[in-house]
Amino acid sequence: MILCDVQKCVGCRMCEVACGDFHFDAVSPALSRIRVAKIEEIGIDVAVTCVGCAEKPCLECPTEALSVGDRGEIVLDEELCTGCEECVNSCPIGAIGFYDDNPLYCDLCGGTPACVMICPTEALVVEQDLEPSLEQFQEFEGIPAQKRVNYAKIQAEPVREKWLAGWRLGP
Amino acid sequence: MTVYQGNCLRVDLADRKIERGKTPPNGIGARSWNSVTLLNEIPAGIDPFGPENVLCIGVGPLTGSQFIASCRFIASAKSPLTGFLGDSGARGFWAPSLRWSGHDQIVFTGMSDSWVYLFIDDDFVELRDASHLVGLDITETTTRLHDELGDPDLEVAAIGPAGENLVRYAIISCNLARAAGRTGMGAVMGSKKLKAIVVRGSKPVKPVDHERFTKACAEYQQNIETHRQFESRRKYGTTRILDALAEMGVLPAYHYRSAVFEDLKHVGAAALRRDHVVKAKACYNCNVYCSRYNVTQYSEGEGPEYEAQAGFTVKCGNADMEVGVAASNTVNRLGLDCITTAEIIAWLMECRHEGIITDADVDGIDLSWGSNEAIMKLPEMMARREGIGDVLAEGSKRAAQTFGDGARDLTIEVKGLELFSADPRGIKGYGLMNAINSRGGDHYRGEPMIELTGDEELAKKRVGNPNAAHRLLEDGKGALVNYAELLGILSDSITVCKNISNCMDAVDFEVTAEAYSGLLGKEVTRDDLWNACAHVSQVERDFNVREGLTSADDTLPARFKDHPLPDGPAKGTRIDIDRLVKDYYKEKGWDK
Repeated sequence: MILCDVQKCVGCRMCEVACGDFHFDAVSPALSRIRVAKIEEIGIDVAVTCVGCAEKPCLECPTEALSVGDRGEIVLDEELCTGCEECVNSCPIGAIGFYDDNPLYCDLCGGTPACVMICPTEALVVEQDLEPSLEQFQEFEGIPAQKRVNYAKIQAEPVREKWLAGWRLGP
Repeated sequence: MTVYQGNCLRVDLADRKIERGKTPPNGIGARSWNSVTLLNEIPAGIDPFGPENVLCIGVGPLTGSQFIASCRFIASAKSPLTGFLGDSGARGFWAPSLRWSGHDQIVFTGMSDSWVYLFIDDDFVELRDASHLVGLDITETTTRLHDELGDPDLEVAAIGPAGENLVRYAIISCNLARAAGRTGMGAVMGSKKLKAIVVRGSKPVKPVDHERFTKACAEYQQNIETHRQFESRRKYGTTRILDALAEMGVLPAYHYRSAVFEDLKHVGAAALRRDHVVKAKACYNCNVYCSRYNVTQYSEGEGPEYEAQAGFTVKCGNADMEVGVAASNTVNRLGLDCITTAEIIAWLMECRHEGIITDADVDGIDLSWGSNEAIMKLPEMMARREGIGDVLAEGSKRAAQTFGDGARDLTIEVKGLELFSADPRGIKGYGLMNAINSRGGDHYRGEPMIELTGDEELAKKRVGNPNAAHRLLEDGKGALVNYAELLGILSDSITVCKNISNCMDAVDFEVTAEAYSGLLGKEVTRDDLWNACAHVSQVERDFNVREGLTSADDTLPARFKDHPLPDGPAKGTRIDIDRLVKDYYKEKGWDK
């Protein structure tokens, strides 16, 4: 699944643009399956999308419209989906979008993710066999955007510590 | 012809009335619509801080699209600093959100009697009470709004204490450090008691002819990625310019008294990265990501760009980069234009050096060259109009009336707008741009970057004269500046970053015509865009002439005309600005 290197992410949102363009031939954050959490007051940007977590709370879909695909991606059966948004709200890191009555999942673009291809700093990488636990984020309450920021903040802690200890990019 | 007529939101702050309409028909986006609106709706001679001033915020059809760095909004009104047409653009992420909300322009009229902010959530638009935000700086305002509205993705464009206190060079800022910096648009916002504009947008930008649009975007991207400065701009952003200008001998050290700064290595791009930069930052959809985030012992924040970097160091004779970076963070929070702020501090230091004023004239603040006290304290006093800050908040031209003729002779402004951190004597095209452009002394209006490159082929391609590529030659500069000006208008209308369009020559009228044609699904030609931009140039001139502008205003401060550069690689150079201005008028077909 797609992970983001917090030090490398410059927050340009080219990943969002590429995602919308790939799936819809159009651009808007509402169309994107990857969203950049920007915490400007601490200089942090983190692109957040489905990380294929170990818990997969989204799978507890009331109409069983969701399953896991060959690459570990979440697959939506549009026929079964009622647009109830339970999956959207269940994701502890706010990685599921919702547009036009449909949840938006990272589908890895069928194998060559457009966001990873476009990322100008190579901050985005595909980690095929990783199933990270997101248990520590499950208690957090809020809308998906707040969950993404909460996730980004915790992801950024080691990076922030490094900066405040005097680490610099260097000439 | 009507290339694209956008959706306009008209907000009457006096009656709290919000109406929907259309942008002017004869424009191509942001600045083009704004300037026409100002000409049509602002009567001559009004008080910029009065209810008759109109504040326009514009984006364009390309904003928030796949077109790289289509990220800017343009704020326009009659300027309280110059008394002429004011406008300024900000990069970052606010503008795309406005576009995604389905709006292309907001026109604010009248004045509110209490503090408000405008909230836009796609079609839902309302004015809300902002009394609890008064006094907060830009960072505090933004984070407070994110918290109380419960959505950290909301885009906030706000003013700080400087805008509230009608400091004539107050900025409107988004993403905490992305400023519409010049000509005091934040002060106009403050005069209307409008603290912030908050936007959430979700409507897609969908090109009608996707293939054609994508092809134009790819060509543009290719122009960027093959540019010889691509990697250095990624690494250093605009801070790379400091070393380049030092080599050309056009640094404004000690307020233009020298082109040589002995402590260059302490304040250059490499030192900045070594000591303070912790990561790169980007604006919307930009693969150059030329911004940087800094951490200092005093504060942290995004920046500085070249102007704050050089303004608070070289120009003030300050070798302490950390103080310069902290000052950059401070002006961003307070909502001050870093260019004007630094210029005023450096000017005061020169006045003190010349014995025209003493420290006692500025509340006892040490005004010796490089004084950390002055650089750290004066911005706070300006923004809050404390002590002498109340005088300095008026800008250098007005403040000089307090300090006398000697001080006035040392100001560096054109039409009341303070100049950038470079010496026009050694860069003739930039000198001419500063003298003639419609918002006053400013370089970014339309950077004639070709003259810094020495690229004769490019000069020939763009303006038919290879000499235009040489910064010390006066030949060809009228044509060069006219081209750069129109390219600047194009960039401000399609809302791309001019560091890419003008400075990297990555955007021209041809590639933009292709992008517009693809996006809008109709044939838009190079000439349509060129003519639209030439029209805007004339509209802005007409606005300024109506406000009393004459050709005597199209000039530079006397020291650049009369005194040769004293030292450095361009030693001995003066600028014959009258001749250059005539050359430009000829290009325009103006007799005066």
